[in-house]
Amino acid sequence: MNLAPLRSGALLLLAGYAVATYWVFTRSTPLVATRPVVIRLAHWQIERGPPEGIAAVIQRYEELHPRVKVEQELIPDRIYRQWLRSNLAGDNGPDIMEWGSWVEGHKDLPARYFTPLTAELAQPNPYNRGTSQEHLPWEKTFHDGLTCPKRDSPDPGQIYAVTITETTMRLFCNAQLLREVTGSEAVPRTYDDLRRIFALTKRYAALTGRPLAALAGSRDNGRAIAETMFSGPLLGLNQRLDDDGNLYLYNRKLLGAYLAGRWNYRDPHVKAGLALVREVAQAMKPGFLQLRRDDAMLEFFRGEALFLYYGTWDATTLRQMVPFEIRTLRLPAVTADDPIAGRWIAGPLGEGQGETTLSLYVNRATPHREEVIDFLRFLTSVPGNQRFTDHSLWLPAINGVQVPEVIRGFRDYQVGHAFGQATYDALGSSVSLVWDRNFHHLAGDQGSVDKFAEVLDQAMPAAIRADLQDEVRNTLLLVRPQDAAILGHASLGDDSPAGQRHRLRQQEMEASQTISEGQLGQARRALDFAKERP
Amino acid sequence: MLTTWARAAAPADGASPSDEVGAAWQLMADHLGRDAYVRLDRVRGVPTREQRLAQAVVVVDYQPVTPERLHAAEAIFADLARGEDEIAAQAAYLQARLYQVHYSQPDYGRAAELYRALAARQPDSHWAQLGLVKLGLLQLYVLPEPAGPAARLAAVAALLPRIKEEKLQRDVHLQLGQAGTFYGLPLDAVLAHLIEVNRIGGLVGQIEEDLAIQLGELSLRAGHYAAARTYFETYLRDFTPNLRSVTVRRRLAEMAAQEAKAQEGRP
Repeated sequence: MNLAPLRSGALLLLAGYAVATYWVFTRSTPLVATRPVVIRLAHWQIERGPPEGIAAVIQRYEELHPRVKVEQELIPDRIYRQWLRSNLAGDNGPDIMEWGSWVEGHKDLPARYFTPLTAELAQPNPYNRGTSQEHLPWEKTFHDGLTCPKRDSPDPGQIYAVTITETTMRLFCNAQLLREVTGSEAVPRTYDDLRRIFALTKRYAALTGRPLAALAGSRDNGRAIAETMFSGPLLGLNQRLDDDGNLYLYNRKLLGAYLAGRWNYRDPHVKAGLALVREVAQAMKPGFLQLRRDDAMLEFFRGEALFLYYGTWDATTLRQMVPFEIRTLRLPAVTADDPIAGRWIAGPLGEGQGETTLSLYVNRATPHREEVIDFLRFLTSVPGNQRFTDHSLWLPAINGVQVPEVIRGFRDYQVGHAFGQATYDALGSSVSLVWDRNFHHLAGDQGSVDKFAEVLDQAMPAAIRADLQDEVRNTLLLVRPQDAAILGHASLGDDSPAGQRHRLRQQEMEASQTISEGQLGQARRALDFAKERP
Repeated sequence: MLTTWARAAAPADGASPSDEVGAAWQLMADHLGRDAYVRLDRVRGVPTREQRLAQAVVVVDYQPVTPERLHAAEAIFADLARGEDEIAAQAAYLQARLYQVHYSQPDYGRAAELYRALAARQPDSHWAQLGLVKLGLLQLYVLPEPAGPAARLAAVAALLPRIKEEKLQRDVHLQLGQAGTFYGLPLDAVLAHLIEVNRIGGLVGQIEEDLAIQLGELSLRAGHYAAARTYFETYLRDFTPNLRSVTVRRRLAEMAAQEAKAQEGRP
């Protein structure tokens, strides 16, 4: 019997297997790309809702554009920061990515890696043809006119992102547990009602021996509720420090004002806020700062916490997974008649008033800029965003999209004033770190407001200086490469329609670069003032 | 290293050198510095002035930016700046920019000197005018003289008659307004600049909305109630409602209540 053909076949099979194995372990793409253009979109919203909503939009987009494939990459938020930075640094960044100015240690990313969308946003979105938004500039079709991407732009004259949804914070209540603990179905109407429920829960847990907290605890949930409580008494102080008359305080201004000695953590407004933060911290189980949002969610699922305070982004997950009745409430605002902090309350704080979020940024190095922007146009068109909303049950970002009945209540906002970019625990990465590191001085039976405020004022000057220096560095990262871009536009400018667009872009970039450099000058001056102070 | 870019022969794919330079400018406009660098590296033949400028400009946007490369770029800028054409003005402007923002150890005095020299040599060039805007920033915040805030602002205001382009005048007025609030100068002086920014218009992004609010709020603080009301009403009309609209509406209501009270008190 001739075994040669058999041997050749086996060898061929082995070689094929080896190639396939090599491919599987070294490449994540198919052997043969079926579509010539592949766009990667990365985000951290892996809870129920957004992945399904975005997938539905992608499916329709790919039907309309057979040459384009859009891949959705779901990256857990625990690793998103490291994942994003290493991929961008390694020239392997996604074409579209989620980013937020609050992501610690990431403030330099827009300047380094993202590209502005200002010019495109000034034009109508072609996918809105036949809808109520047809003739409006793309920017004006967003429910809030893109407040967050404008406000958080590293470059005050540019818009870098589009948003696809609208979220707010809510107090999710285990209705059955509320009845058990309080003997009533009445939900808290005022912050003082909530304070009473905190006390009742503690008593009930002690009596029954059950592991039970009023608030499900984790660092994420804790910071979320702490910041909401903290900001109430700070509003008046923010207004006092608002020299520019913006009715809003940017972090760089607050950092500078601290270095100039215009506020500190022992200020009565700040201490009133800290007292409220201590109250909510005491309503969580000890050690919550070591836990993450998934842990808080599990605590709530197990019936070991009466309330879960977090974003409406968790509502779809809760609705689908929790075996008990949930009531969704607004966190009662601390008002001027509050017995503890009332005298420091300057007015009601707004809840966002429909600010849109899940901001998507474009990688400036994408080889498919045209397709990327086209996909973003579809995703944020009336039909595209409708599809996202229907499949995610998250609120839409675009005007003209019908809101499903089940989530309409999320738009019932607390009407109130604007506050500022961040509360005083989160003015920058270093400030945030010092806050976390010393939080034990505030929480727990041994903690106190006075002790915490004193410790913060010892540690914060260096942290605040570091964060302001970060602002300086990030602004330099932004303005330096703009010189080359400005010269590029200038060299391409002429009287043709394309040339005129370049001229306009040159003019806009020159203006926004000058504004950024003005801010840079002020930050440097604030750092110098601090050096001059004893 | 930059000097080695000047090589003999034609571009690799047959495109003309001017096409390659045009493509490089487009890449730089799109912030794709590295691609622009590669594109320019392919160009062969004796480099034109424009090509030399492009090769030096790309250095400021091509990572990693090293001091050696910046110094090499400066040598090219300085050489090109000796001419009298548009490229000379661009090169002179960029040489000053190196000292203002690109070198890790800035030399603001040198940057100011270069901006002044450019403005004296080619006063009508856009780049000289833009240089005066940047000189204004140096005077507002970093140059040792003049020392006091009011004197700093006065020195920058004195640059305005030399700036012919309206959009650049606007940018200087905006900086004067922002510096005025930063240094706590009288609100009427600040408002005069912000009103001028508003008249010229054309700002985009967050700054447009900030300006609209500032005009109302600072007018109110300065006691110009009628003007404040007009600015606040314009803001509510022109911008999508958001958290600041709530405060603006409250300001308008407070002003109306005060007026009503004043009316009641009249005989």
